[in-house]
Amino acid sequence: MLRVRIVGRPQKLVPSFCRLVHRASASTSDPWNSLISSRINTNKDTTSAEKNTVTGSSTSCNSSTASTDAASSPAGSLSGTTYIAKDNIVTTHEFSTGASRILSNYRSPFDATVVLLLDAAGSTLLGKSNLDEFGMGSSTTNSHYGTTLNPLYSVEVETGKAHISGGSSGGSAAAVAGKLANFALGTDTGGSVRQPASYCGTVGFKPTYGRISRWGVISYAQTLDTVGIISDDIHTVEKVYHVLDKYDDKDPTSLPDDIRNSLKSKCSEDVNSTSLTVGVPREFVVGDLSQEVKEVWFSVLSQLQDMGHTVKIVSVPSIKQSLSSYYTLATAEAASNLSRYDGVRYGQTTEDLQEKAHDLIVANRTNGFGPEVQRRILLGNYTLSSESGDHYIKATQVREKLVNEFNQVFNLRHVFSNDTNVDKETSGRCDILVAPTAINSAPTLEEYHQQNETNFLNDYVNDILTVPASLAGLPTISIPRGKHGIQIMGQFGADQTVLDVSKKLMEVK
Amino acid sequence: MRSIRLFHTSSTWLSKFKLDPNYKFKCGIEIHTQLKTKYKLFSLSPTSFYSTPNSKVSYFDCGLPGTQPKLNPEALYLALKLAVALDCEIQQNSSFDRKHYFYPDQPLGYQITQHYHPIAKNGFLELNSKFDEIKNSSKKINIEQIQIEQDTGKTTYDKFDKSVKVDYNRSNMPLIELVTKPDFEDLQQVRAFVKKYQTMVRHLDICTGDLETGAIRIDVNVSVNGNPRVEIKNLGSNSDIQDALKYEYTRQVDSIKNNEKIIQETRGWTGTKTVSLRLKEDAVDYRYVPDSELPFINLSPTIASDIKESLPELPEQILQKLTSKPYDLELKYARFLTENRDTLNYYFQLFKSVADRHHSGKLANNWFIHEFLGAFTKINVKVDLDILPANFLADLVLQVAEKNISTTSARLLLLQIIQTPEDKGKPIQDLIVQYDLGSPVDMSTEDLNDAVSDICSEIISNNADVVERIKKGQKNSIKFLIGLAMKETQGKVNAKTFSEKFNELLDL
Repeated sequence: MLRVRIVGRPQKLVPSFCRLVHRASASTSDPWNSLISSRINTNKDTTSAEKNTVTGSSTSCNSSTASTDAASSPAGSLSGTTYIAKDNIVTTHEFSTGASRILSNYRSPFDATVVLLLDAAGSTLLGKSNLDEFGMGSSTTNSHYGTTLNPLYSVEVETGKAHISGGSSGGSAAAVAGKLANFALGTDTGGSVRQPASYCGTVGFKPTYGRISRWGVISYAQTLDTVGIISDDIHTVEKVYHVLDKYDDKDPTSLPDDIRNSLKSKCSEDVNSTSLTVGVPREFVVGDLSQEVKEVWFSVLSQLQDMGHTVKIVSVPSIKQSLSSYYTLATAEAASNLSRYDGVRYGQTTEDLQEKAHDLIVANRTNGFGPEVQRRILLGNYTLSSESGDHYIKATQVREKLVNEFNQVFNLRHVFSNDTNVDKETSGRCDILVAPTAINSAPTLEEYHQQNETNFLNDYVNDILTVPASLAGLPTISIPRGKHGIQIMGQFGADQTVLDVSKKLMEVK
Repeated sequence: MRSIRLFHTSSTWLSKFKLDPNYKFKCGIEIHTQLKTKYKLFSLSPTSFYSTPNSKVSYFDCGLPGTQPKLNPEALYLALKLAVALDCEIQQNSSFDRKHYFYPDQPLGYQITQHYHPIAKNGFLELNSKFDEIKNSSKKINIEQIQIEQDTGKTTYDKFDKSVKVDYNRSNMPLIELVTKPDFEDLQQVRAFVKKYQTMVRHLDICTGDLETGAIRIDVNVSVNGNPRVEIKNLGSNSDIQDALKYEYTRQVDSIKNNEKIIQETRGWTGTKTVSLRLKEDAVDYRYVPDSELPFINLSPTIASDIKESLPELPEQILQKLTSKPYDLELKYARFLTENRDTLNYYFQLFKSVADRHHSGKLANNWFIHEFLGAFTKINVKVDLDILPANFLADLVLQVAEKNISTTSARLLLLQIIQTPEDKGKPIQDLIVQYDLGSPVDMSTEDLNDAVSDICSEIISNNADVVERIKKGQKNSIKFLIGLAMKETQGKVNAKTFSEKFNELLDL
């Protein structure tokens, strides 16, 4: 019988070898140290990093690193490639921590579906990357393992020249920018793949919600969480996407095959079209946009026009309410999802003797979660509390309204929509929407901390450009333009259209 | 257990308990019923009741990171069966919600339940004086709703080494929660409802129906004269329910008499009294939220009628049938059969088999209940109906009816069959020959008379003392002689023939 002793938890579910090598970058001049854990040692050279990389590693760790040899890789569309997974995606060979102290000793008994699919396609997992704890943040500074810095800039923290990598998939984006692997997996809840990709000058793709299995993805906000792909190379992104775009019966939110097939037949017409209608939602023209970002945005729009597409201004009014809706939903779902972390069955638990089971849980959660996670749990629990009223339902209504407004803007009918009005007037509707990914390029660590000290909501406000596509589950990609990123959004399920346009744009740069 | 029973019999106020008409008793109950599914509610781990602790636990059952629930449709089907049997309105659209609270046996930190949109609403179960032993001729208990939810792990406290032990085998097992309206007006109604409910779930084969194992768990709400209601949680047996209700009613009546305020609270039952667990103000805010991971349940509009067609006859219909023509069973036997489906099926087969061969089916009643089932009890063997298929027992009954074998021989044969597994499956005719139990049909009446005379004369001469007593007027002692004669002939000759012969020989 698993014994939950009040004095502590005698049964260790997690063996103690395979120490994480996440390290706060502030203490070292090498930014890579803070990027990746487990299989990769602190070595820039990926080829040598493959060899015996884990401190005190067991054979089970070696068996998969050994397969890094292209020759021994299984045949598949990703044969010979390497990747890094955000550490909120569970794997059996290394710790799966969510960058939280509470899971810092946790090893999953199973691999996430995405990891198994990539394995079958011949790609090799090199290690796990840093993130904002449980995905909560847009800087990768809220991590139990320290900050991940941005490889595009100087990493000298002392001189104040170091920049943040963005977040929450900052470790994944930085790993790709630092050429540690061919691609990286991230997760995007409100922009967590696109924004760090933009800050680190890489491609970051968040597919349609439900396309990629969440089995094995540690939930932050389950109605928003989407596995995303980060790479320098748009073709790699596409290949990886095709490997992962599969129905998974373990994930109750996975899109069933009939929906996928009907989407495939509907979207096929758009492929390689040279006369798309490109929409620019006026609500994205926010005052905070930097001049540089505006210029990049305009240049992309004119490139699209040069390709023969039509650009037009459209309106999605609910974008303005999307931020408050997003933070209501995301924090409420987070408060619920993170309730399971009590240190009783797994994870860090206090050694101090506790009088009551309840005290044990309180101690574990107080010690186990960082300040930002605690803040969001509190916010979420307030939303869910009976005194606060019906914020969750109201936020869901805003979300529905937003989806309907997107449906009015897009040519393609939403696969779940039964609103026949949508089809009445389709002329002049859009195939894709284009907007910047972030209001500016990556701030320095100092700037970031200063802004947050003035007002912690500052961090939340920056999500205005990415959150609408998350709420509507739309496929959205951020493609690099220097140190900025531009988002291409498509209708729900129109992932291929988004990828096709992005490939063309990547050619012109 | 024994000491508790002793205590109960000695606490005379419980047995003398009566409701005071000036203090109106009002009660509603909540029942948690563990569904007999093959797998758990949201995972593919098998359900188990007596397995090694923590041996039937999947990744989702213990709340590992990165796991998601997947609804087991069998649980949905079982819940629907019950809902239809209780005349509930099946909700075409229902969904799951999360109810949050922290406890080591709650692995997700929340329970998945149906708070906002339960699967069924507004049903009822009707009690009546004929079958349910209540005072009113009939009483309708309304059912507010039925919801599907997860069970928690099982916590045990070890006072000795001051530890808490948690077994997650029970975690994520499917439960249904049923809530009645506060319609109960006395304790008999509560008892009758629970019993009827237990019979119903067993009959529908959706739950083992036992309170003692925790397959059914009951909470009651009691209020007196419209005062705030008090909830008593986790009552583990029918007598606990009765005793707790009696205690709590008396406590509340005393409080009212003493002008004390009754507060809304949750209490527990210690076996002898109710004790406060928590007040309303201390109630946990469960922070209900829709579980947006699980899809909505959308049912076809005809689901209720479809399921109704597939349901077996309900217990009350069967009781009604068994106590009427042609079966005409006594209520207690009818109830026994209704509560034991295998036995019931056997009985129907036997009855049909006997009746088909132009004999009164009532022969079947007597032979099945008293002789066949009685034989197991007599020699203290567990009833095993497979030992003698219903049509074989019918053969035996008919042999007796046609006087091919005496009642005594038939009884002997039943005992023999039960104790001799090798005889299983052999036709009755063969067994009668094997054990030489047939009536002496091949003898002429004259020969038989001679044989009977010989036997009786020998017994008379060997039992002079008994004969003397009979002649002195103790006529009943003749039965002893008849008994000896029966034994001698292994019951092949009936008692009446011997009785006549003894009377003749002794000039009585």
